[in-house]
Amino acid sequence: MAVNAFSDEWAVRFKDEVNKSSVYKAAAKGWKWTVGLVIEAEPDKNVPESVGVVMDLFDGEARDIHVGPASEAQTCQFVITAPYTRWKQVATKELDATKGMLQGKLKLKGDLPTIVRYTKASQELTECTTRVPVQWPDER
Amino acid sequence: MHDAGPGPMARRKVKTSKPVTYADAEPSAFASMLGGLIDANVESRPERKKDFDSLAARVGIWVTDIDEGVTLVFERGALVVHNGLEPKRDITIRAEADTVMNLSNLKIGLFGMPVYYDEVGRGVALKLLRGKLRIDGLVGNLATLNTVTRIFSVAG
Repeated sequence: MAVNAFSDEWAVRFKDEVNKSSVYKAAAKGWKWTVGLVIEAEPDKNVPESVGVVMDLFDGEARDIHVGPASEAQTCQFVITAPYTRWKQVATKELDATKGMLQGKLKLKGDLPTIVRYTKASQELTECTTRVPVQWPDER
Repeated sequence: MHDAGPGPMARRKVKTSKPVTYADAEPSAFASMLGGLIDANVESRPERKKDFDSLAARVGIWVTDIDEGVTLVFERGALVVHNGLEPKRDITIRAEADTVMNLSNLKIGLFGMPVYYDEVGRGVALKLLRGKLRIDGLVGNLATLNTVTRIFSVAG
């Protein structure tokens, strides 16, 4: 059953998908930093306020993933920021996250060598988002 | 009384300029990312700094699936990053975004040679064999390519 994108239910399902992924577990071995996703508001798409996704990822495991204010996500050690439409493109595989970062469509804050070292893990995280059936706010 | 004359401090080397600068007023996201990556790598790893200080070369990188590229002009201890491909390049690397990122994940092995026998290395070598990774100017510039690979490498 589809859940509302970037809702609490979505965060639980996303965390389950991450923890089910053996690919992520192997690729993220040694990762020990928090990651924040900032989904910037697009009122015309039914996203009136920016939203944050806060991920406590440790050594191949998602210890916690929750949705909160964008300001909370911005305090994470790694922060990826993009407007809602871009995140939807990533989650529906219209936009590859690596390409998006190289093109500046997704803005990354954090230690670059570390994030590059874990490219495969971040790609698998993106894959995990695509496995959660989602109801998008602009399609409601 | 305080002596304001030149003392030992005057002879101390002071870092006055950044090792990585950008030729364009608005560097592309790709230029900023590569420049930032090299900057962080060189700052944090003395062995990379040694390579950086010795390298003089013009290296182009073209990402085929986003149609964007940069030219890295290494000038022995300084790097100028240009948006797009500039003329007179020694080496030009052309590959998809994933492969370019994987180049940074090549491990460096014995004698400073990139490792092509582990999973990442085999992937890169396969792309090369299949023509998905093209390196123009390789002949005569193999040592330069290895140095550039080391400067890029974020792997252990």
